[in-house]
Amino acid sequence: MSVQRKRLLKRASESLGRRIGNGREYSVISEQDEPHHMHGGRIQETWVYQEEYSNAMKLKSKLVQQFKGKALEDVIPGKIISNNQGACYCIEAECDTHIKNTSLRKSREVILSDLKLLSGVGPARERKLKQQGYQSIRDLTKHPIWRESAQEFLSRVDLKDVSSLQSWFNSRLPKSHPLAHYLAGFCRSEDFAIIDIETMGLFGRPIILLGIAKSRASGLGISQFLLRDISDEAGALWELVSHLDGNSAFITYNGRAFDIPYIQERLAYYGIRSSLNNPHFDALHFARRAWRSRLDNCRLETVEKYFGVQREIDIPSTLIPEFYESYLKSRNVGPLVAIVEHNRQDLITLANIFSKLYDEWNI
Amino acid sequence: MIEEFVESLKRFESYKGQIEHVEVIPASTACYGKLEEPLPKTIEDYLSRKKIQLYSHQATAINRLRQGRNVIIATPTASGKTLAFNIPVFEVMSTDQFATALYIYPTKALTNDQLQVLRSLEKETGIRAVPNVYDGDTPSSQRSSIREKSRIILSNPYGLHQYLPWHYKWNSFLENLKFIVIDEAHVYRGVFGSNMALLMRRLLRICEHYGSDPQFILSSATIANPQEHSEKLTGREFEVISDDGSARGRKFFVFWNPPFIDIDRTIRRSAHQETRELLVLNVSKRFQTLCFTVSRQMAELISRWTREDLTQKSPKLVGAVAAYRAGYLPEERREIESKFKTKGLIGVVSTNALELGIDIGSMDSVIISGYPGTFISTWQQAGRAGRTTADSLATLVAFQNPLDQYFMKYPKDFFGRPHEQAIIDLNNQYIDLGHVMCASAELPVTSKDEKYFSNLDSSLAALKSQNLVRETTRGYVYSGLSRPVETVKLDNISDRIVKVVCSGKVLETLDLTKAYDEAFEGAVLLHQGDTYIVTELDLATQIAKVKQEDVDYYTEPLKTIDISVIKKYEEKNESVNFGLGELEVTESYYQYLIKKYDEVIGRQPLNLSPLSFVTVGMWFTITKEIESEIEGQNLDFEGGLHAVEHAMIAMAPLYAMCDRWDIGGVSTPIHPDTGQPTIFIYDGFEGGIGISEVLYYAIEQLFTATLRLIENCECSEGCPSCIYSPKCGNENSPLDKKAAIIILEKLLNTMRKDSNRPKQQDKSSTHKKE
Ligand SMILES: [Zn+2]
Ligand SMILES: [Zn+2]
Repeated sequence: MSVQRKRLLKRASESLGRRIGNGREYSVISEQDEPHHMHGGRIQETWVYQEEYSNAMKLKSKLVQQFKGKALEDVIPGKIISNNQGACYCIEAECDTHIKNTSLRKSREVILSDLKLLSGVGPARERKLKQQGYQSIRDLTKHPIWRESAQEFLSRVDLKDVSSLQSWFNSRLPKSHPLAHYLAGFCRSEDFAIIDIETMGLFGRPIILLGIAKSRASGLGISQFLLRDISDEAGALWELVSHLDGNSAFITYNGRAFDIPYIQERLAYYGIRSSLNNPHFDALHFARRAWRSRLDNCRLETVEKYFGVQREIDIPSTLIPEFYESYLKSRNVGPLVAIVEHNRQDLITLANIFSKLYDEWNI
Repeated sequence: MIEEFVESLKRFESYKGQIEHVEVIPASTACYGKLEEPLPKTIEDYLSRKKIQLYSHQATAINRLRQGRNVIIATPTASGKTLAFNIPVFEVMSTDQFATALYIYPTKALTNDQLQVLRSLEKETGIRAVPNVYDGDTPSSQRSSIREKSRIILSNPYGLHQYLPWHYKWNSFLENLKFIVIDEAHVYRGVFGSNMALLMRRLLRICEHYGSDPQFILSSATIANPQEHSEKLTGREFEVISDDGSARGRKFFVFWNPPFIDIDRTIRRSAHQETRELLVLNVSKRFQTLCFTVSRQMAELISRWTREDLTQKSPKLVGAVAAYRAGYLPEERREIESKFKTKGLIGVVSTNALELGIDIGSMDSVIISGYPGTFISTWQQAGRAGRTTADSLATLVAFQNPLDQYFMKYPKDFFGRPHEQAIIDLNNQYIDLGHVMCASAELPVTSKDEKYFSNLDSSLAALKSQNLVRETTRGYVYSGLSRPVETVKLDNISDRIVKVVCSGKVLETLDLTKAYDEAFEGAVLLHQGDTYIVTELDLATQIAKVKQEDVDYYTEPLKTIDISVIKKYEEKNESVNFGLGELEVTESYYQYLIKKYDEVIGRQPLNLSPLSFVTVGMWFTITKEIESEIEGQNLDFEGGLHAVEHAMIAMAPLYAMCDRWDIGGVSTPIHPDTGQPTIFIYDGFEGGIGISEVLYYAIEQLFTATLRLIENCECSEGCPSCIYSPKCGNENSPLDKKAAIIILEKLLNTMRKDSNRPKQQDKSSTHKKE
């Protein structure tokens, strides 16, 4: 290549690098600013307060100092695991948080007593039917008009087919409806899979950490699959997939819009075929219904503070890409400590939110 | 009828010799073709029910496509291109129940128009294709069902660029993709074309991943290089079909020059007023007429004035004339289109929004008010008039700029000229790099992808140096901090859209630069012939508030363009001073004119924050000696600079493989950053696009070629082949051909002295203009 073409290429790549850097997906704002004024029409744009930002930057340099020259294994205990898609770094932990669930009997009772689940039944008709003695959908299997529909619904209930019940619910109820939460009673607690991922941005970039928490007798068993570098992504994705099966029921926070499609996109990116059409309880929708009136927003951090949880080490999720980027550049594992801890906390908080939500419904 | 009408114009009271030329394009009879194999019965029945017999070019296209060839159909407007590619697509749909096809159109309006065509074909043939549009307007609730159920999806390049990263959601569509149809393929030229070419490579790479290998069908207006263009656009081999077999009546092409209105014969009557009179005459004759104007505002004004005239002359026809342009809401556009088709409208005044294939049937008459800038466009517009057997009329009304006037003076030159080339550059590093980056976010990039992207190794190394990609065991993986498709733009049209709101309702939308021209505070905005006064333009919320008010004047903003050098990349400081670097181009709007029928009746100050963008450009200075030598010969130095700038831009595509519309230029007798007379040539794209840089490195060749072009041009004072520019912001004035020759000769001489090389024998060259 000629010298001139080389120079041109260099300038072209610098210009691109600059524009990609300018396009970062958050803005730093001062406490006085109202976040919604900052949106400027862009959909995914988000913000971080000036104070949070500078605290996070301070934390980053502290961690970098503290772990200078240290190896990953020495700082974050874990092991390298390999599978047929590659390898990744696996961090395992247990904690005594339990996922509280409702009993199958209670769920069934609550759900069947809502006649509005049948298409064509509104609040007025439900009242009438109940006056006529039809207290539950089970009773309606004897009703001349609603018989078929009620039988169809009941067969799904009897089969404990959560996926098909969820799609039934989706067509009849808002996603945040408490009954959609009660559906979790149909799942065995060992099938719950709390999932939370950390990424290099909003779609189209690597997932850098996949966290999954499962219910065990002693509490939560947490597994985190970390990328030592981007080469580990396919291995980490596959590791998560291997922790799931057809019965797994996802518990996420905004996972319907973010985590699960993101994981699917990345699997497809590496040409791995896997469908994640499992039952899915997205706690964000329930949290909004339960606490929106009491909180400024329903970000996980905000809800957690409302519960009085204080994190020792924390960074706003928005800044995770920068932390990881700085690890990639310097290979200093300090920033990873914050990312892994952040993700672990998110998983635990998610278990708590899921449990506490049951107290919010007047059923 | 048409012939008599043209004759009768000469007897008209206000006729003062406006007709400079009438070119009669002879009629052609239909030439039918034969298919090598019969069509499926349902399609056969459909054709016979509609009494359609395939023309030779349609039959050839179908035959070739059935052999698995990629085909570009480059025949004139209204020759039945759409049917020629819909038949083979539907045939495959009927034999392969999973087959899918992707149709790509340059505009949303065209997509919606073609959707109706495909839906009716589905109904008529009973072949299930479930055609649907998938673009930015598609409600999210319908998206997944369209992706899963539709077998023909219509979209546009901008949408596709956004959807490719989500390929997994399209897997069943992509696995079964049998055809990619690119309609109006000539639109993809210059930087836009190069971007489209790389977008197609990204799409094909993903298709390969899903195991499909679609066939391409392109349709295009007449261009000089259909073969090369289609192959560059897609990377595949093509069969060109350009012999038009359709039947056509005679066409009269009239060159209409507004008459002089002063004794000195220097000022001509307004072309807009001439256009309006011609439209009134055409409509009064009940000729269905489409009138093309160069601006949205003129489309509105001419339709308004025409209706005013008709109110007096034939009130019955007032409702039969309407304006049609970009910015109207889709429902409004559809209503006008359907009224036009059903002859409820006789006259429509349009911007080039109707130039592309929206199906409104064929006209009796087309009026082109001002040369649209390219032969491709002129013939596309003229092609809207034409019946299979009857005569039709096309009238080009000249503006008083040298370019339009040149064609009036030398009409034979116009009709003898080849159409423009559609140029695509596959070696532009800015464009290439951007798309390799996008591709790396779609699937990991490996050495297997060399067949899609040239110079892949060096591109990846450059991206890696910026941490935009990371090398992994799976290939190169995108790892930048924001979404690549947001940063990589396919063209330079602003994506900041301003909404025009009238008492709480959206009247129309326009992009930011258009809003500066038409929706500043105090502006008169015309919409469907009604006048609105803009009461506020809020740039933060991107909303212009208007109130309806009937006024008989209109407004026009005045602006200046300033250039400043922000950062020098490179400099050559010898006797001639050359520079390359980052420039800030600023457009300041300082005043607006209040006009009534082309006359200025008032001026108002304008207070708008300037529009500016940063780009890459090159510049060079001209010494005082050259300036005084030119002035000594009583020539116009400024005209010389301006002419050199135009001619260099005209020659630039030879070196930078771009379209002249991708480049901007400014020439000034003194520039604050250089302190000398200076010519700037810059990329018309935010952040630069690699054109000026290539020109800077080839500056001596560019000077030589430009000098040859001007010197060897047979004109005496300049012409469109040399120094006239179709996109000049100063009406091609001042221009001085002789001064330009002197400037270039002197520059080259000094450069050669500098490099101590023996003088080359350039002048003896027999290189002639085309
Ligand atoms: Zn000339
Ligand atoms: Zn000019």
